[in-house]
Amino acid sequence: MTSVTSLAPPASGSAPQGAITDVKKRYAAGVLKYAQMGYWDGDYEPKETDLLAVFRITPQEGVDPVEAAAAVAGESSTATWTVVWTDRLTACDSYRGKAYRVEPVPGQPGQYFVYIAYDLILFEEGSIANLTASIIGNVFSFKPLKAARLEDMRLPVAYVKTFKGPPTGIVVERERLGCFGRPLLGATIKPKLGLSGKNYGRVVYEGLRGGLDFTKDDENINSQPFMHWRDRFLYCMEGVNLAMARTGEVKGHYLNVTAGTMEEMYRRAEFAKELGSVIVMVDLVIGWTAIQSMAEWARANDMILHMHRAGHGTYTRQKSHGVSFRVIAKWLRLAGVDHLHAGTAVGKLEGDPMTVQGYYNICRERVNQQDLPRGLFFEQDWADIRRVMPVASGGIHAGQMHQLIDLFGDDVVLQFGGGTIGHPMGIEAGAIANRVALETMVLARNEGRDILSEGPEILQAAAKWCKPLEAALHTWGSVTFDYTSTDTSDFVPTASVA
Amino acid sequence: MPRITQGAFSFLPDLSDDQISAQIQYALDQGWAVSLEHTDDPHPRNTYWDMWGTPMFDLKDAAGVMGELKACRTANPESYIRLSAFDSTRGWETVRLAFMVHRPEQEAKFRLERTEGPGRVQHYSVVRA
Amino acid sequence: MTIGTIETGQAVPVATPTSDPTDGRIDLKALYHETQIDAVLAELDAALIGLKPVKRRIREIAAYLLVDKARRLHGLSAKPPTLHMAFTGNPGTGKTTVALRMASILHRLGYVRKGHLVSVTRDDLVGQYIGHTAPKTKEVLKRAMGGVLFIDEAYYLYRPENEKDYGQEAIEILLQVMENQRDDLVVILAGYGDRMETFFSANPGFRSRITHHIDFPDYEDAELVAIAESLAAAEGYCFDDGARAALAEYVTARRRRPSFANARSMRNAFDRARLRQAMRLFEADSPVDHEALRTITAAEIRASRVFSD
Repeated sequence: MTSVTSLAPPASGSAPQGAITDVKKRYAAGVLKYAQMGYWDGDYEPKETDLLAVFRITPQEGVDPVEAAAAVAGESSTATWTVVWTDRLTACDSYRGKAYRVEPVPGQPGQYFVYIAYDLILFEEGSIANLTASIIGNVFSFKPLKAARLEDMRLPVAYVKTFKGPPTGIVVERERLGCFGRPLLGATIKPKLGLSGKNYGRVVYEGLRGGLDFTKDDENINSQPFMHWRDRFLYCMEGVNLAMARTGEVKGHYLNVTAGTMEEMYRRAEFAKELGSVIVMVDLVIGWTAIQSMAEWARANDMILHMHRAGHGTYTRQKSHGVSFRVIAKWLRLAGVDHLHAGTAVGKLEGDPMTVQGYYNICRERVNQQDLPRGLFFEQDWADIRRVMPVASGGIHAGQMHQLIDLFGDDVVLQFGGGTIGHPMGIEAGAIANRVALETMVLARNEGRDILSEGPEILQAAAKWCKPLEAALHTWGSVTFDYTSTDTSDFVPTASVA
Repeated sequence: MPRITQGAFSFLPDLSDDQISAQIQYALDQGWAVSLEHTDDPHPRNTYWDMWGTPMFDLKDAAGVMGELKACRTANPESYIRLSAFDSTRGWETVRLAFMVHRPEQEAKFRLERTEGPGRVQHYSVVRA
Repeated sequence: MTIGTIETGQAVPVATPTSDPTDGRIDLKALYHETQIDAVLAELDAALIGLKPVKRRIREIAAYLLVDKARRLHGLSAKPPTLHMAFTGNPGTGKTTVALRMASILHRLGYVRKGHLVSVTRDDLVGQYIGHTAPKTKEVLKRAMGGVLFIDEAYYLYRPENEKDYGQEAIEILLQVMENQRDDLVVILAGYGDRMETFFSANPGFRSRITHHIDFPDYEDAELVAIAESLAAAEGYCFDDGARAALAEYVTARRRRPSFANARSMRNAFDRARLRQAMRLFEADSPVDHEALRTITAAEIRASRVFSD
């Protein structure tokens, strides 16, 4: 009997170990190579209804990449480590994932992109839990691989249609807010921890009155001793409504309803609704099923659902192992969130500009074209499910406005937390500075000016009549986070923004 | 002085006609249809302002819209006028740019009305001050 | 609706004259090349057979506009010139085609911002009931802003026999815009020469606002034959020697018949000849070769009713 890891590498990359078609040999008790079991088919033409996945794998020394690819296909579909005769009670051909392409990763010796097609019958309709249990359930711990990363997926229209997608989406969110033609503006309330409900609501009010569209709870603001959730909700909504009356604009605060149980999340969400909030928020860590349940709730209650991607960095950041954020973004669009933190490229958190643009395109486009420099391996038709509003948050400030608008366009929430609340003239002034910088830049871009090169001048010109902007540029104008990203495209030289 | 800050450019000094014209040209160049609406009730939830004619389809140049804007201002000097640019491409089919192009001498003001509920709950209405 | 918008305004360098700052000299020839007017005029020459006097007038106007541009840079004239035009001539003499090129020239020289052509007739401007005309006319004007408004058979706007005709309302709006929004659009009125003359006499407001008149003469017989040949060539056909001779006779005869429309009559004649050729090939019931498929013979021309009287 052979084991997978003892296999000698083949002479070439073609399929040396074809599927065994002789039934007697195929189902003899023992261990076969995955490729021999039928998980590799170099001639396979994916069907329109297949789910496609591309993994980056790093096989152990001596493991043939084609056999490793077949193993990934097997372990993410029907296979077990040994031959089972009970396969013969099924139309087992349909259930096998089929690895159909293996190619070396450019510039990364030892790594391979493995393309696998899965038949639609493998998946339960409308269940991200089922999808993820299938695709990433087992295979990431598989010994013959040193590392594996799910880089991208193509979700067939037939499968996309089994999901309801974002409850609100970009178009309807804007129609509810009555705000068109500029990025939305937000801020996360700081400090994250320790403010009482009353003090916290003050920050909400000041920021919104100053010109923000939204303020936001942070991911770990739930119901701690210093501020119980009801208190927070009540004071925040006082601030939201007062700011609406002062400005004549529709405003909101992302009330974080993340809690220990589904029952408690529903309780908090219901209270947010009772208080007239337009938006609630959950953290990615609540899990896929809870996210889909909250999406159902949001759809039933006309609520925008804000998703904070708390925890994603544990499995998205390293290039060799984990799941790319572009896959997480696809799953979240299916699951049905309206806002999704998708990176800033210029701020304090990980993100190479083109890779981040790839995430934005996944959130916002009707159909994604294949775009390797932006990390999109497949064309993806979203079957007209709504568009997710991406959120750029983390270490950004008014002085970067031209870069942000150039990178991300209008359909994004720009969240300046420290960049609003840390303003030397106060929170309202911080909000004014950001809103003036934003409007000035959109106006200039629409007038045909080259904002990427003229941006700093355009901001300086506005700072002449807007003191808060002048102070903001003076305070943060030179702050950059110019570190090399870890998660970068394999198809273009790595760029940084500075 | 407090002002209604709806629309894309309300935090900037009022746009000149040349600036408005440049924004219209941008919208037309995207293939969007421009329309004008006016109201004396800029309540944040007042969605349906009075239309000044139908959206202007198939225009190439901002001059056509500017003519209508002048006429609308003359007819409604004490109103808010907003300009919207509508995109009819599949999946958008909505306004893609909207901003104020005229304000009354005396800006509208709103205040908050509160109704007490159980458990410290407040129900809010934004009403004209 | 006959209304149509034709794009002519490609992205082109709009006149920024090459001037020498030391002595303020402007190189007109360089400006001519930069704005690609030469290309437009060359296209016009190539695209339109004959029309010598028209081409000459266009060249004059182009030169005038170029010099006007230079004069304004030198502060010698302040007001933008009035550019509204009248194109007179019989049907099929190339008025619409020339208007399209004119829009392009005006755009390249920076006299209109977009350079498209909106082509209309009375029905697009004048309404059926009270209050209908002004919005219709304004709608057309809004679309034409930044380009050229081409009003074909403009005299139909004026119907003196009916004093309540709504055409008068359209005329008044047009005159106002032609006077006050000279920067925003150029109006070209077109139609038969004699009827345009009557129209201008009754509406002196138009005459005073129009600075350039271009008369489109009828084509010579030889020119019409050449036009037919070029139409045919564009669609992969040719006339054999017999057909060419028949065509020359056809042109002479056709001109004497009613509703002769110059180039347009040649288009119609070619279209009918093409049908007859197809019928001949089909009924011959034998294999056809490349040559047979492209050749139109005398028979196809002589079958015309023009020869039957």
